[in-house]
Amino acid sequence: MINTEDTLNVAFIGNPNCGKTTLFNAYTGANLKVANWPGVTVEKKEGKFNFQGNEFHLVDLPGLYSLTSYTMEEKLSRKYILKEDVDVIVDVADASSLERNLYLVLQLIELGKPVVLALNMMDIVEERGMEIDLHRLPEMLGIPVIPISARKRTGLNILMHAVEHHKNKTFDKIEHHHKNGNHIHNHHEEFAVVYSDDIEDKIDLIIERLKAKYPDMKNYRWYAIKFLEKDEEIIDLYTVSLDDIVDKNYEMEIIKQKYDFIEEVISEVLVNKDLKSASTDKVDSIFTHKIWGIPIFFGIMALVFFFTFTVGDYLKGYIESALTVFSELVAVFLNSIGASDFICSLITDGIISGVGGVITFLPNIFILFLALAFLEDSGYMSRVAYVMDGIMGKIGLSGRAFIPMLLGFGCTVPAVMASRTLENRKDRLRTILVTPFMSCSARLPIYVLLSEVFFEKYAMFAAYSMYIIGLVIAVIVALILSKIDRVKEINTLLIELPEYKSPNARTIFIYVWEKVKDYLTKAGTTIFAASVILWVLLNFGTEGFTGNMENSFGAIVGKFLVPVMAPLGLGYWQVIVSLISGIAAKEVVVSSMSVLFNIDNISSVEGMGRFSAILAENGFTAVNAYSLMLFCLLYIPCAATIATIKKETGSCKWALYSIILQFGLAWLVSFLFYQAALIL
Amino acid sequence: MNLLEGEKGRTYKIKSINLEHIVKRRLEILGMTENVDVFLLNKKKRGAVIIKVRGTRFAVGKEFAEGIEIGGDVDD
Repeated sequence: MINTEDTLNVAFIGNPNCGKTTLFNAYTGANLKVANWPGVTVEKKEGKFNFQGNEFHLVDLPGLYSLTSYTMEEKLSRKYILKEDVDVIVDVADASSLERNLYLVLQLIELGKPVVLALNMMDIVEERGMEIDLHRLPEMLGIPVIPISARKRTGLNILMHAVEHHKNKTFDKIEHHHKNGNHIHNHHEEFAVVYSDDIEDKIDLIIERLKAKYPDMKNYRWYAIKFLEKDEEIIDLYTVSLDDIVDKNYEMEIIKQKYDFIEEVISEVLVNKDLKSASTDKVDSIFTHKIWGIPIFFGIMALVFFFTFTVGDYLKGYIESALTVFSELVAVFLNSIGASDFICSLITDGIISGVGGVITFLPNIFILFLALAFLEDSGYMSRVAYVMDGIMGKIGLSGRAFIPMLLGFGCTVPAVMASRTLENRKDRLRTILVTPFMSCSARLPIYVLLSEVFFEKYAMFAAYSMYIIGLVIAVIVALILSKIDRVKEINTLLIELPEYKSPNARTIFIYVWEKVKDYLTKAGTTIFAASVILWVLLNFGTEGFTGNMENSFGAIVGKFLVPVMAPLGLGYWQVIVSLISGIAAKEVVVSSMSVLFNIDNISSVEGMGRFSAILAENGFTAVNAYSLMLFCLLYIPCAATIATIKKETGSCKWALYSIILQFGLAWLVSFLFYQAALIL
Repeated sequence: MNLLEGEKGRTYKIKSINLEHIVKRRLEILGMTENVDVFLLNKKKRGAVIIKVRGTRFAVGKEFAEGIEIGGDVDD
């Protein structure tokens, strides 16, 4: 953590869907560091921002509704904020649903650190004809309130200005109308929320005890409230005997009284509260319709994949042409400097055809992530949870579990992480086990290549069928797992449905750019390394460097496994070696094929022609190709997924289950398909 | 009457929440406290409902909806 004199540490916090990420991105641009919080897989974003000669170090905390200590995200955020080196907290609130957002604001104020409230989405508030009294609100809360719009990028400088000015200030004097009343606990100028007399009495008593035992504690009031709420973390940390004061858990009353205060605030600051545009409700009456909701969802997904294949393929052509030119130029260059055959072969056959074979699929992946970003940013994703809740309920999961599964179409790694939003551990484990069956974008190049070579005009249907089969198998596996688990517990849906909004170009750009960067990094590292290793394994044998791959180490291993894969129609050592190397990353299956069959630019028209000719010579037909596609869809997840499963479940056991389950299923399904196809 | 038995398009008040403590607390944190208005936006035959509480929409699954007692149709 940076904490020099002139760096201001600012923590961004807010409810989910409050536009916090958009605001954070508006300051840092794509120039942010994404890492995990130490020891856990909750994502942590950090960035820098310079304002009027000062450096701000910004940290984006997870989106949350409250600051209790019950979920990992909440514990983490609270601990982080309580640390000395957070100078200012910026609470981002969605002004268009101020009432609910104020709850977290009140909890943050109670922490006693400098808080600045960023009232986001002011443009939407205006659009709807609502008005917020920006003079009265800070008076009642005692903290600066800055109206902003992260999407329209208004108010951003003023917000940072306020942050700078309030770094040493905790409370402004509160102008509350109770101040002249004859309230026993006349704290109305000090604290935004003053509780009922019985609770305030108890707070005073607890503070007395705490002062006696812990004279150096800061913000006694907050700790006293936590003791009344029976906050486990605080009780564990501070051993004070309070049984005579805290005779029961006051949490519900404290929540209720905070909301009572919020109602007071809302009634004073919000004008035209009910004059909301009904556009979200209108859209929802179609999208969440009890009959049409499901077909609409499948229609949207069909459209997503249609664009992924058609537009993606169109763009792919350009990358292929560029790659051909590049490969030829490199070959000419290598010849001109008199490089050895060994080096020429490594660079052109190993690296360029391996890495290049994967890079040509970038447009498909770009389009797929673009579509997923649209679904997420528009607010549709949470509707999917509602729409799918009935179906998911039948397989023992809540509709919410469908979100990680849907994200699995992009990449399994973040999808497995997204399962974190499920509270029930057994639900989580089952979701994690079925998520890899949702065909990820890395498997897309395999389908595109094989289906274009073998299914010509039906190529899109062949590729699309993989997604359906993956989904069906995920559902069947989830059903079987829930029977084994004997699920009886309640797996109930509870999710906020945010207002629909037109997706923000910047947010989408950054989201997609992150994914594209990941893909390119993977091409440059994992796939590069796999291509080189594969090239070595295929060009070296027991007798050293060999010109004939048939004698290589790779071939020896592949041939050894032929009997296992022959019943699936995949008894070709080259295919087996490709599949093994695909465990590094699924795209590698394609790059390996190009290295193994010695075809540069495998996804170009000529490359595919040669590929199909070579395979046909060996009796590898459309049936074998489909069996291979099925196998690739289902078999062992990639190394990154295995590592993520291990991390998320906290044990090797589940990663191992996942490997065994997927290999077994892949073998079985491909076997059944191939044998059935042979009989027919 | 519970939330599942409510009628689409009407506003009710939450009377009580008869669910385990941890769930009840989650719902209250989201603003579903006693006596608050809930507007029933949508419901499916067997299953989840969509409600609007304090200006926010939530999809609530069947089991939770059954545990939320409502009453006093505000529209009447």
